[in-house]
Amino acid sequence: MSTGPRVVGQRLPRLDAPGKVTGTAVYAADFALPGMLHGKVLRSREAHARLLGVDAARARTLPGVRAVITAADVPDVRYGGALKDETVFARDKVRYVGQPVAAVAATTREAAEAALAAIDVAYEPLPAVFDVEAALAPGAPLIHEAWPTYTAIPILHREGNVCNRARIVAGDVERGFVEADRVFEHRFRTGMVHQGYTEPRAAVAVWDTSGQVTVWSNTQLPFEIQNTLAEILALPPSKIRVIVPGIGGGFGGKLRVGVEHFAALLARRAGRPVKIVTTCEEELTAAYPRQSTRVELKTGVTRDGRITAKAGRIWFDTGAFAGSGPGVASVATLVLAGPYRIPNLLIEGYAVYTNKTNCGSFRAPSGPQANFAVESQMDMIADALGLDPLDFRLKNIVREGDEGPTGQVLTAVGLEECLRRAAAAIGWADRRPTADRGKGLACGWWTTTGGSSGVYVKLNPDGTVALNTGAAEIGTAALTGAAQVLAEDLGVDLADISVVSADTFATPFDFGAQGSRTAFAVGNACRAAAADLRRQLCALAAAQWGVAAETLTVRDKHVVGDGKRIALVELARLSQASGGGLIAHGTFIAPPTAYDAKRVEAHVYPAFHSPSFHAHAVDLSVDRETGEVTLHRYVVAQDVGFAMNPTYIEGQIEGGVAQGLGQALSEEIVYEGGRVLNPNLTDYKMPTTLDLPRVESILVEHPSPVGPYGAKGVGEPPNIEPPAAVANAVAAAVGVRVTTLPITAEKVALALSGEATP
Amino acid sequence: MSFECHEPSSVTDAVALGARFGEEGRFLAGGTDLIIQMRRGKVGPRHVMSLHRVSGLDRIEADGAVRLGALVTHRTIERCPAFQGPLQALVESAAVVGGHQIRNVATVGGNIVNASPAADVVPVLLALDATVTCLGPDGERTLTLDGFLTGPGQTARRPGELLTSVRFDQLPPGSATAFVKAGRRKAMEISVVCVAVRLTLDAAHARCQEARIALGAVAPTTLRARAAERALEGQPLTDEVLRRAGRLAAGECGPIDDVRASARYRRLLVETLVPRALRRSLERIGRAA
Ligand SMILES: Cc1cc2nc3c(=O)[nH]c(=O)nc-3n(C[C@H](O)[C@H](O)[C@H](O)COP(=O)(O)OP(=O)(O)OC[C@H]3O[C@@H](n4cnc5c(N)ncnc54)[C@H](O)[C@@H]3O)c2cc1C
Repeated sequence: MSTGPRVVGQRLPRLDAPGKVTGTAVYAADFALPGMLHGKVLRSREAHARLLGVDAARARTLPGVRAVITAADVPDVRYGGALKDETVFARDKVRYVGQPVAAVAATTREAAEAALAAIDVAYEPLPAVFDVEAALAPGAPLIHEAWPTYTAIPILHREGNVCNRARIVAGDVERGFVEADRVFEHRFRTGMVHQGYTEPRAAVAVWDTSGQVTVWSNTQLPFEIQNTLAEILALPPSKIRVIVPGIGGGFGGKLRVGVEHFAALLARRAGRPVKIVTTCEEELTAAYPRQSTRVELKTGVTRDGRITAKAGRIWFDTGAFAGSGPGVASVATLVLAGPYRIPNLLIEGYAVYTNKTNCGSFRAPSGPQANFAVESQMDMIADALGLDPLDFRLKNIVREGDEGPTGQVLTAVGLEECLRRAAAAIGWADRRPTADRGKGLACGWWTTTGGSSGVYVKLNPDGTVALNTGAAEIGTAALTGAAQVLAEDLGVDLADISVVSADTFATPFDFGAQGSRTAFAVGNACRAAAADLRRQLCALAAAQWGVAAETLTVRDKHVVGDGKRIALVELARLSQASGGGLIAHGTFIAPPTAYDAKRVEAHVYPAFHSPSFHAHAVDLSVDRETGEVTLHRYVVAQDVGFAMNPTYIEGQIEGGVAQGLGQALSEEIVYEGGRVLNPNLTDYKMPTTLDLPRVESILVEHPSPVGPYGAKGVGEPPNIEPPAAVANAVAAAVGVRVTTLPITAEKVALALSGEATP
Repeated sequence: MSFECHEPSSVTDAVALGARFGEEGRFLAGGTDLIIQMRRGKVGPRHVMSLHRVSGLDRIEADGAVRLGALVTHRTIERCPAFQGPLQALVESAAVVGGHQIRNVATVGGNIVNASPAADVVPVLLALDATVTCLGPDGERTLTLDGFLTGPGQTARRPGELLTSVRFDQLPPGSATAFVKAGRRKAMEISVVCVAVRLTLDAAHARCQEARIALGAVAPTTLRARAAERALEGQPLTDEVLRRAGRLAAGECGPIDDVRASARYRRLLVETLVPRALRRSLERIGRAA
């Protein structure tokens, strides 16, 4: 065959670029249908209160109002992921400010808003808990009194306000501390942050006369939404069609049902299509942001810098419902162990209920919080031992064939190369080049999420190819990457591939755009489908020529062999004339990663599949008087396995770093007494271009034995290390160690002035 | 949100409409404060009077005293050649209002009448001893800017009065201005603290003849730090004198704790940024000499 890849691995422009650049691409928030109504959700004003009554009678009589629904009008079901603790509307009581209490649909948004204002809700306030400490205190009010009766996956360890405690136990941690020369204990905190997607959550729903509902939504997981809607609407999934027109960013915030169920319920009641788009305030008070955390780390080290034991605990404030909490608390234990050889471990992750919005998943869920603690502490220990932080890491990092924290055998471990190259690129030898300037390093590891993917691949009449996938293009160009794999394996050009995606009735199943898996899993499904289509093409040509199909190959848009060649366009014509055209099916499921089951408890995610490794380095200055941080350069060395399309991997790295720097320096949803103080983009501070440095990407390639052409998941990892890298660089620059996120100028300045411990 | 929109085409018409609607009406210049406040339900005017057809209020006159029409945009200030010298603080402040799109439409008049204690251009105008001119059915009134600003979102403007211009004198030789701002971001940022200063040195450049220090976001209104000013006037401006002015200014402001920053940090910023702005002014005078 050919001498090396022609399409995959090349810097080709993404397939969806023209539509997105020219503004013609349709996103869910653009979507409209004739006769469409506007839906709005009434949200609780109380953080924790008995719901005495919801009186919507007046709202129903207002002009333009076509439907008003409350808990009394919807099936009484509890839904959710690992733990089913959620209801469509608050029933017996409300559990956070922002919890849905009722919804209306009206002919205009203004009429819908007027109707919301006309619904009377009577509350009787209850004692509330607003942070993990309060929720865990003896005698704390229970957020869910009936928690033992809820349906949950059996492995969860639950107790009162704790909706899961995941654990890793390896070796003997107490013995490990005895073997250590020094034992270090530190505490950290991180703030709640929002994914900051450009497009708010949006859905349009319409019912047909057969009782089937179609929902256009910007969800990352159309098949999951189909199932959730089936639960909520008490209908079989075959009655529910979910289509993703386009997504203006998700980053994990659009995994779970957002407004789709309200749109569907209102549309059924009104008998007309209903559209709901969330407001900025709803996004910042009632979406699925990243959990705030508390972390405690205790690490034992020998004098020469070998880690002997680590005990770590991380508490996630998951809000009023479990949401992603039980899973995130599990994943966190692997991040908290870190990509280090540590013989003795006791790591726990807790998901804790509070009276705040339900947190969810955000690009590398748990990664930045846990990594901030781990990698800050690595530098603190190195400083205390008088070791260079790079050397200290190199002494302890995992290498090829090592065991991960739960006993998985690690292969394709590119961590040392990442660390050395990031350090070299930032000029590590000169770590404090001038006064108040410093450089910081942080490294980590992450998973390529599993789950299955199916694709259909169809030969078009002109010899081009349609790729039909259940995955949504979330903006990463993952489907362009998958299409590059397909083009490569079919001997066609990328421009010959067109993509149809994310329609639960028309496309095959896909586990969804989550967990850095789309290009990886859909790419592999494309490999399988391409092999199938090549077989079909060769069989068709072989039948024409009366030769054995095995002697033929597909190359340069032709089937060739036996001294002959026939173009795909000709084969397309033949197949349509005789056999209904050619269509191939390809599927993929990541093989399970073996681990030691004895080491884990209540763990939803015990091993990292095709793990990626990465190191970040930053060069910054601190204004000693104001505490302001100025970022000069940022370097990422990431082991991507194989770079399917370097341009878009760099895009993922730049975007992930920007988001991570936001969490590091400026972003935080601030609660006071159960209310968000900054529910707007005036005071929720995402970085601007002027706040960000140039991000330099170094793509390291230690091929995964499982990924397409060796690729590993790339989308989430760049978001993990920025907070730790920045904290370490600030410490290097001015000697102040900030152990809470965000590292605001205020914290740095007050610490420098000796006024406060950050 | 429901209101009637009016588009007067002259100052006279605007004033007449203003008089007619009084408290029920609001003028709309760039709309970058007003629209947001309406959307958040903070104000609910029955009548919105857009000033975009009113001509003659968007000019800068700088021969002799300087007059800025109320509709002069921040972009226009940023680019005004007359402000490149001693009046540079005007450029420095206008250049950090929001982003490009905001500066293209947002006006100096809006910045003043909105009366946010965190407004960026207002402290510079205060440091220039500016006066403002309002026009109402009873005629024209000129007030000091200091007297005009009475509280957060509150001014001495009478209901329906149109702000037409803001005026200040050219600076004597040996003068310079500077503006510095602190916030969580480097752009699109509401000041956590901002500081504007003006210095005039004596003929020998040995001592400070006149000083103005105005502070933003540390009191219910943009604030003159008078004690700090007094501590400079008549003194040779050594670094110790500048730092003392910073400490005095930090003492005389009255910041609050809010989601943007603590009062403690705001005071610390005042203490730091006042000498920093003064140093910058001194350098500018030195360079011009
Ligand atoms: C994204 C964003 C960022 C911002 N960043 C900054 C910043 O960094 N620094 C800063 O200082 N400000 C900032 N602002 C606030 C705003 O842009 C400024 O205050 C601006 O100068 C207001 O001018 P305007 O013309 O838009 O005022 P408008 O919104 O039109 O009016 C504001 C108020 O003044 C009244 N008014 C306006 N003109 C007159 C007049 N001639 N006579 C009588 N009353 C009048 C209006 O009725 C209204 O009450 C920002 C705003 C936004 C939206």
